[in-house]
Amino acid sequence: MINLAHRLIVPLILSVAVFGALWILNERAAKELGDPAIVTGWFLFGTILFLGAYNVRKKLAAFNVGPARVWLAMHIAGGLLAVTLFLFHTGTLWPTGVYEQILATLFWIVTFTGFFGVAVIVTYPRRLTDSGVEIIFEEIPGEVYSIRERAEAEVVACTEKYGESTLADHYVDTLDWYFRRPRFYINHLVGGIGPEAWIRSHGDAVRRYLSADETPFLDRLLALAKQKTAIDRQYACQDIMRKWLVAHVPLSVALIGISVWHLILVYVYAK
Amino acid sequence: MLMARPEIRSIDAGAFPNTLPLDGIVRYDMRVNRYRAGDIVVREGDYGNSAFLVLQGELVIAGSPGIPAEQLGRIQTHREGTFRRVANLWRNSWVPEVRDVDRYGRRTGDQGSQTRKRGAYLQDVPAIMRDQDTITLNEGTLFGELAALGRVPRSSTIFAERPAIVMEIRWQGLRDIMKFDHEWRRKINDLYRGAALRSYLRQIDILSGVSNEQFSAIAKHCLFETYGTFDWSATFRRGKPDEPIIASEGDYPDGLLVIRAGFARVSMRYGKGRRTLTYLGAGDMYGLDELYQAWENPNATNLQLRYTISALGYVDVIRIPVTVLEEHVFPTIKEPDDPSTGALQRNVAEDALMEWALDKRYMNGTQSMVIDMDKCIRCDDCVRACAATHGGNPRFRREGPIFDHWMVANACMHCKDPVCMIGCPTGAIHRSIEGGTVLINDDTCIGCATCANSCPYNNIVMVSIRNRQGVAVIDTAESGQPIQKATKCDLCAGRPGGPACVRACPHDALSRVDFRDFHVGTMD
Repeated sequence: MINLAHRLIVPLILSVAVFGALWILNERAAKELGDPAIVTGWFLFGTILFLGAYNVRKKLAAFNVGPARVWLAMHIAGGLLAVTLFLFHTGTLWPTGVYEQILATLFWIVTFTGFFGVAVIVTYPRRLTDSGVEIIFEEIPGEVYSIRERAEAEVVACTEKYGESTLADHYVDTLDWYFRRPRFYINHLVGGIGPEAWIRSHGDAVRRYLSADETPFLDRLLALAKQKTAIDRQYACQDIMRKWLVAHVPLSVALIGISVWHLILVYVYAK
Repeated sequence: MLMARPEIRSIDAGAFPNTLPLDGIVRYDMRVNRYRAGDIVVREGDYGNSAFLVLQGELVIAGSPGIPAEQLGRIQTHREGTFRRVANLWRNSWVPEVRDVDRYGRRTGDQGSQTRKRGAYLQDVPAIMRDQDTITLNEGTLFGELAALGRVPRSSTIFAERPAIVMEIRWQGLRDIMKFDHEWRRKINDLYRGAALRSYLRQIDILSGVSNEQFSAIAKHCLFETYGTFDWSATFRRGKPDEPIIASEGDYPDGLLVIRAGFARVSMRYGKGRRTLTYLGAGDMYGLDELYQAWENPNATNLQLRYTISALGYVDVIRIPVTVLEEHVFPTIKEPDDPSTGALQRNVAEDALMEWALDKRYMNGTQSMVIDMDKCIRCDDCVRACAATHGGNPRFRREGPIFDHWMVANACMHCKDPVCMIGCPTGAIHRSIEGGTVLINDDTCIGCATCANSCPYNNIVMVSIRNRQGVAVIDTAESGQPIQKATKCDLCAGRPGGPACVRACPHDALSRVDFRDFHVGTMD
């Protein structure tokens, strides 16, 4: 967070400078009875294109086009500048006219997802590190499967050894649901302790019906559940760290496309 | 044949213990190599683990200006042009590890591994003899012992101008013979004293004030010692790392230890365990403070060594005897600082990263990929950037051991002590002359996996290559198996701007670090 704030200082100063330049040009256009909206519009469009260029930069890894960390800082500061320019350009949060409203809808969604993205990159990496487990996202299904197999092996071993199906029945009725796939998605995202509470209550519920010999099997089962909780947290946080881009990037491309059409319309009908 | 050679016959076999007889060393650590005209015996820049004795014929050392790198099978790290990089945007294949297989057949120059069974060779020996300053090594000459024992790269290329027979002796055999045979020990030490010791000692700060006469006296009395095993990576990979003690806390010092190669840990008793205070690399010294205090306070009684020094895998040291120091060095220097002062002011939590890094032997890395997991959003932009600059194939894995919030990813660390380079039969893996980066020449790699098996950190990956049609390339001539190549991070050699992975990280989470600097940086 501190690192990101440091990196933002220069881009924010640049953004303020750009806005200052726009202000002067806008005032001059107003005094000369020109069309200030044209000036602010071009500034806004230029800023949006610059923001879009960040995604292009990712494709140019083999070219020396500057470190991505600088680009990201410029992207965030540019996003803030774009919001300011949008308000300056339209003079309102919600313009009239259907086409403008489509444009504004896209703009605000892209803006909101951008803010959400910043919140995500500031919050979730630390949360993942603190979980004490690290796993590559694509390997999570395999790991969940592996944990489930071990859990089922414990249950089967308990039943075979002591001839009692108490733990097995309980597993089928309740714990199997937990081991089947990643659970408590939202709870993990908000940093809750729902999974731990769920495991504890379902573990305690059956413990009184088990013999002293069967209890160690339950303990190992709950240890596996705890292990899976950490994997689930990885799944939820890593998933959201990817998914927000699924909305942000395509909608920003759509925004650029519609903005181009907006420009064309302005120049066609302004004449 | 070898036992009859005068160099071997002159060794007193009776001095060897029954558990390590001389004929056993000859049988298991020596072999006879026959070289044809043009065959390269050792190549400049290679790391090797054996010395050589010319048995019959002559060998030639290529002196100045040196044999061109391409004739030695080295990669020429040409800067990749803009047009080529633009073209790669479309050319990167979805099929992994695609190669232009025809290129292997088109190669010219040495490399001969594809066409000749034995090692590498030089094609135009007469031209080399004409263009190079050469030195001839005659029958009975011993060479290569410096690189074998000192873990330093071969300083020059030696090849056969005419057919020659050469005895090769592994470093273990050389070490054992030196241990039990005074004459061999004297001969090899004299070779080192004459060839490299003086220039090495000249780089040591405390010897900068001594006169030439004093310097000669110091060089004359230096002792050479080796601790640990040359192939320490083998025991390390098995989870049983060697760490032999060189000198223990409480011992009385008898000489200054100067690290020549490898790494050593300096530690002290702490609770029921040992606390690492620092680690030493090439050029660092141990025992100077205690020896100086003993010289300045001859009546003091508590002048034992305060710390223990142990070899982290393998370490080669020069011992300068205390009498020599007292006579020639101490009068010329100021009282040295206690090197552990800073370490003792820190608490154990502050040093936990160093303890972990030493246990993992990461001190070896000069370009370790360290990821700050508190910043990393697991987006894999680093992996994609690596793939984009390597034909669609990432050259590292974003996984590895984690300490606190630091992950050391599975990427080549470009080690100070590159054990991967020992034993490469074609010299395909080598250090670039320009920046010291460890590179693999894909053209000359024969897929033997020696480097991958040696790497203590599992950072070299063997891959099956495919042709442009995406079909696996098979060794139809011999094994019928897919042809493999060793691959690893090359630090984006030849591409502007440094490693693409670092540049591609939007969150400033990934960096390439020398662990000594990194440890200090994290404490700051």
